[in-house]
Amino acid sequence: MASSIALPRVRSEQPLLQLFSVIPGVLLLAAVGYAGKLLEKNVGAQAKSHHWTFPNIEYVLWAILIGLAISNTVGVPEVFRAGVATYEFWLKAGIVLLGARFLLGDVVRLGGVSLGLVALEIAGATAFMLYLGRAFGLRPKLTTLLAVGSAVCGVSAIIATQGAIDADEEDSSFAIAAILALGALSLFTFPLIGHWLHLSDHAYGLWAGLAVDNTAEATAAGALYSDAAGKLAVLAKTTRNAMIGFVVLAYAIYWASQGQARTVKNKAAFLWQKFPKFVLGFLLISVLATYHFFSKDQVTALANLSRWAFLLTFAGVGLRTNFREMRKQGLRPFAVGAIGEVVIAIFTLGLVAGAEKLFGF
Amino acid sequence: MSANTQPLVPRKKVLSVDTWAVIVALIAALLIRAGVVSHVPW
Repeated sequence: MASSIALPRVRSEQPLLQLFSVIPGVLLLAAVGYAGKLLEKNVGAQAKSHHWTFPNIEYVLWAILIGLAISNTVGVPEVFRAGVATYEFWLKAGIVLLGARFLLGDVVRLGGVSLGLVALEIAGATAFMLYLGRAFGLRPKLTTLLAVGSAVCGVSAIIATQGAIDADEEDSSFAIAAILALGALSLFTFPLIGHWLHLSDHAYGLWAGLAVDNTAEATAAGALYSDAAGKLAVLAKTTRNAMIGFVVLAYAIYWASQGQARTVKNKAAFLWQKFPKFVLGFLLISVLATYHFFSKDQVTALANLSRWAFLLTFAGVGLRTNFREMRKQGLRPFAVGAIGEVVIAIFTLGLVAGAEKLFGF
Repeated sequence: MSANTQPLVPRKKVLSVDTWAVIVALIAALLIRAGVVSHVPW
């Protein structure tokens, strides 16, 4: 993911140099993540032994908070940036490994429910964001990018769409800033709302996966609620991610018909190029786990490995979020994104409540 | 160099982050399956 907010992608021509360049940042991710894990254990124990009233803060939130503190005070030094930007790699590897915790039947059943809800969410969110962009007088391509970012899957969708519709770097930067800022807010608001509404783990996880835009934030928002909610959030978000190619293709065809983007010649190749490959990896591991390719202990080892990968991701979410940089991007795209996100969150909450009644999960 | 000039060295195809993540995760899964890594603590 090209997080243009705080962490530009660093590419070296030499693969070995490229590998070395990420080591400091990966070590920083590991240190921040592990510090979060230690704080979860020790702060809770200290509070208990001193009879303090202190909320039980999980490692997910600690890792994000430490990352935010570093990014927004001393900043992330240049030497760490390439490695911190690998958090997306760890996120996707973690999702693939998480497939071991899903039996194929669960994926089909819950994924089927998610797919229906995702289709409704994409249609509703896209229509509303397009209306909102027009009402606020945003540039049409910026509106398209915000609509794709809100409806499908955050930053990856914006970047995929930017190339397909020949949008400006500036528009893409605005849309990414809005989506990331709102993603950061959702980390703190979604679990609170979920607890306030007494949502079940399944309902909350599905809601977070449907409403939170960026995959890393959706995974974190789910994990902040509970382990089971985290699993569901990843499944729903992965289903949403799988739709990215179709949505981007639809926009590419629309803008090409307006004479403002290149024509897509090979649609199948376009879809394959935009399809998130980690979805296939997730399904493959799930199939292998379902047919007992892994023993019970091996499934536990894979699940733990997935947790470690997510730990690095959560540290990265904090480290790449810089509120000063976000403020520079202007208020209007953020306002459109914020209004859109609130409406989408309410709409998807309604969808989840309806699905819970219908399917009784 | 004019716009039509072909580069002398063809550009290498670079795998996406997605693909790398899948490859690394599958290798890790196979190592666990083969017993090379038997226990991952949490």
